[in-house]
Amino acid sequence: MSPVPGAGRMEQLVEAIAERVVNLVIEAIDVDALMAKIDMDALLDRVDVDGLIDRVDVDKIVSRVDVEQLIERVDVEKIIERVDVEKIIQRVDIDALVEQTELGTIIARSTSGVASEALDLVRAQAVGLDDFLARWVNRILRRNSEGWPVGPPALVSALADVDIPLPADGGAP
Amino acid sequence: MSASKTTSAPLVAGRQGHYAGAVTRLVAFAADVGASWGAFTVALAGITFAIHLVTGTTINPGKGTISGIIVLISFVIWEFIYFAYQWALSGKTVGMALLGIRVVGTEGEPITGRQAIIRTLTLPLSFLLLGLGFIGILLNKDRHALHDRFAKTVVVYSWDARAARLRWLAKQESAAPS
Repeated sequence: MSPVPGAGRMEQLVEAIAERVVNLVIEAIDVDALMAKIDMDALLDRVDVDGLIDRVDVDKIVSRVDVEQLIERVDVEKIIERVDVEKIIQRVDIDALVEQTELGTIIARSTSGVASEALDLVRAQAVGLDDFLARWVNRILRRNSEGWPVGPPALVSALADVDIPLPADGGAP
Repeated sequence: MSASKTTSAPLVAGRQGHYAGAVTRLVAFAADVGASWGAFTVALAGITFAIHLVTGTTINPGKGTISGIIVLISFVIWEFIYFAYQWALSGKTVGMALLGIRVVGTEGEPITGRQAIIRTLTLPLSFLLLGLGFIGILLNKDRHALHDRFAKTVVVYSWDARAARLRWLAKQESAAPS
């Protein structure tokens, strides 16, 4: 029992008033305007991120994650659609890949050997003669072919020029 | 792997989609003429033999006016089918596939059946006037022959020099002592 009569009721009244005042203040505050006044960069500068990370128990967080459920929620097709495979392939050093892996042996086994090499040779020779003839025609006509279109625009832009010189024998033994 | 001796860069470097040159096209056409004539001759011999087996009469195709005309008409139809069908189907004939070239529209799109038919029908025109219809392959920027102009087509390299390079590398690798 309170030593002062009526003190309990007074206390309840004060609490109710305080609660009401706080609610009124919260309702009156324009949070967006308040946030606009806050310099988030300055605020973040003051945060010790490393210290924060040190205090985080990552293992504990990971142990609470249901990976299976997470994977089920991932739309793999959508991710694949967003991957620029062409760009990735362009970054791959194919020559090094062939040299350093079993891929070379696989390719060697998968190709028909003599026939494909002979075909490569014939094609390489024909392309060489094409260039030789075109050069001489241009020389005779005294014209410069620089700046001429090398192929249909859609094809040339789609097939990025890959500068891969073949051996002088066209790849044949 | 030691550095391989290389040809001049323009020889085969990344030519897919570039206008094909005169020599490649000529060799491809020669291969097609050989293939189509060979197939026609074999078919003609087969038909003659079948008629001989069934009727007992020996026919000598080409001898006599009527049989000569029939053979000629059959040959023209066969040549039309040979070129038009293959161009419409895949943009390349057997000879073109061997040489690694194909026919596309002027913007690089696959050709339509209509273009294939026009190209086949106007191909003989390029032979007229001592083959002057082909001179455009040498002189024009986009290497158009006369029949290409009519059909609004161009011929490009479809040969994958990159695959050839890989094959060569793979061969070197498998030949090298481990």
